[in-house]
Amino acid sequence: MTEQAETGRARRRPIVRPVMLALLLLAMTMPVYLLVVNSFKSQDDILGNPFSLPLGDLTLDHLADAVNSPQYNVIRSYGFTLFLVVVVDVLCILLAGPAAYAIARSTSRRAQSLLLYFLAGTFIPGAALVIPVIYVLRSVGLANTVAGLVAHDVASTLPVSIFLFVGFIRTIPASIDQAAMIDGAGRLRTFWTIIFPLMRPAVVTVLILNSIGIWNDFVSPQILLSPGSGRYTVTTAIYAGISQYSTDLTKVFPNLLLAVAPVVIFFVYMQRHIISGLTVGAVKG
Amino acid sequence: MELAELTRRRERQAPQPGEPRRGSPRDGWLPARYRAKAVTFGLVAPSVLVYTVMTVVPVGVAIYLSLTDWNGFSDAVFIGFENYLHLFDDPSSTSAWYVTAVVAGAGTVLMIGGGMVYALLLKERSRTNSFFRTLAYYPHVISALILGFLWAAILGTNGAVNSTLQHLGIGPVGFLFEENLALVSLIGVIVWAGFGFNVVLFVAALQTVPAELLEAAAIDGASRRQTNLRVVIPMISPVVTVATVLNLVGLIKTYDLVVSLTNGGPAGATQTYSFLILARSFEGTKVGYANAQAVFLMVVCAVLALLVTAARNRQDRATTS
Repeated sequence: MTEQAETGRARRRPIVRPVMLALLLLAMTMPVYLLVVNSFKSQDDILGNPFSLPLGDLTLDHLADAVNSPQYNVIRSYGFTLFLVVVVDVLCILLAGPAAYAIARSTSRRAQSLLLYFLAGTFIPGAALVIPVIYVLRSVGLANTVAGLVAHDVASTLPVSIFLFVGFIRTIPASIDQAAMIDGAGRLRTFWTIIFPLMRPAVVTVLILNSIGIWNDFVSPQILLSPGSGRYTVTTAIYAGISQYSTDLTKVFPNLLLAVAPVVIFFVYMQRHIISGLTVGAVKG
Repeated sequence: MELAELTRRRERQAPQPGEPRRGSPRDGWLPARYRAKAVTFGLVAPSVLVYTVMTVVPVGVAIYLSLTDWNGFSDAVFIGFENYLHLFDDPSSTSAWYVTAVVAGAGTVLMIGGGMVYALLLKERSRTNSFFRTLAYYPHVISALILGFLWAAILGTNGAVNSTLQHLGIGPVGFLFEENLALVSLIGVIVWAGFGFNVVLFVAALQTVPAELLEAAAIDGASRRQTNLRVVIPMISPVVTVATVLNLVGLIKTYDLVVSLTNGGPAGATQTYSFLILARSFEGTKVGYANAQAVFLMVVCAVLALLVTAARNRQDRATTS
């Protein structure tokens, strides 16, 4: 029995693994391959031979059209999306850091229930919440404004950020705080000058988690910023553009390529941080 | 974990000598005890304010509106739980639940299964394996909306696959235009985009399985498959549980991908619950009812999230014991 199993294993292993990996390679690269090659082809060529390399009649026209498009321009939307990401990231850290510090350094029951209060926010599905958010924004006069979107995005990033920070701060010995206090530093100063620099791994995790989340978010900008505002993030620009030209593949592929490029480049450079950051964020948050 | 316990215990003894000294040199207007509390309040208040106004209040608004017949214009009339009763006899609502359940159920099973198969294949530390892991993972960082549009351009009527099939004389296959096939395509794209996350999660867990255990199994004459099924997978079952619930909660909320891949069609066959809620709200006539659906979705997500917490606690206990 065992010997049969041994030989069976010996015969099977070298075949199964390469086949499975080839399947994986094909499944994961095929869409990207199609995206790239078809961004440089004419409509007839895309419909005629979608899988071919555009060796003979490579054209940059459609990519150039997408770059210079007056409407729903993806390149132009990079700027606004990046602005949104940076503002939300900074505000989130400014708010979540001190709050997490206070919660982590307190042993009172109230601090623990405050943490639970924030954690409850991670349960709430964004699509279900965004409509009532409109009513709240309207009543505080921020409907259809970038400030309203930023406020909503910051609030949506706070729960997981605070939770990850609290977990990390608790691993930093409190004797460090006491030393700073004896030297005369107040609590806010102790946090920003002593504790915060020690939190680098947690801050990197939170920044990656929030940046990718905000960059890829579609529901909030689509619904909280009306098309009249003229402000488009990458996702809402793509949505507006493709809804209009869905049959013109010479517009679809180049625009998608432009939308994917910055994320993929960022991912290639930072993959180790991104993968660990997103995994930690999902599992612990 | 132990470090955290130590520091917390030490701190509990410390405050008495620390506390008065903390405030005394500078405060003139408040006793030290209250001043410490005021500082803590100041640290926490901004977060609490933003979070409460932008997250908790909207939940309250949703609950309130769900109990009214508001249509967006008239005065809201309180009608109790009537909207909630309709959740179960409105055909579009029940069909959206069916779609959501199929997407979440089948998607989770396939993502966990696929994730486990590839995690077992790629668990050894090597350059090749790390490359393939990254390859499986990358869709996770790209917006689901964009992935949906990409796959729509591949599977649509004049998409890459169908135009190739047409050259071979095979009529267009309705990957996105036949009701059942569209649902299968949606689940396929979800699994394609999401299983890599599980691969990474499972590989991290598999690398913590002690080598002696595998040696012992080998000495006892266990085949590779037996070792995997009887030793390795049970060892990492807490991680599998967490991944299962995470996938379920994530898929219950599926929205972006539906918008870009099928836009809910054909004939509502791929309309998930989140999609239905937002579609309803924009029709603008049944705001109260749409909010009842939203509240119901929140409750379902909360229940599932409580399962995450329970599963995670069990995992913590398993790893510390």
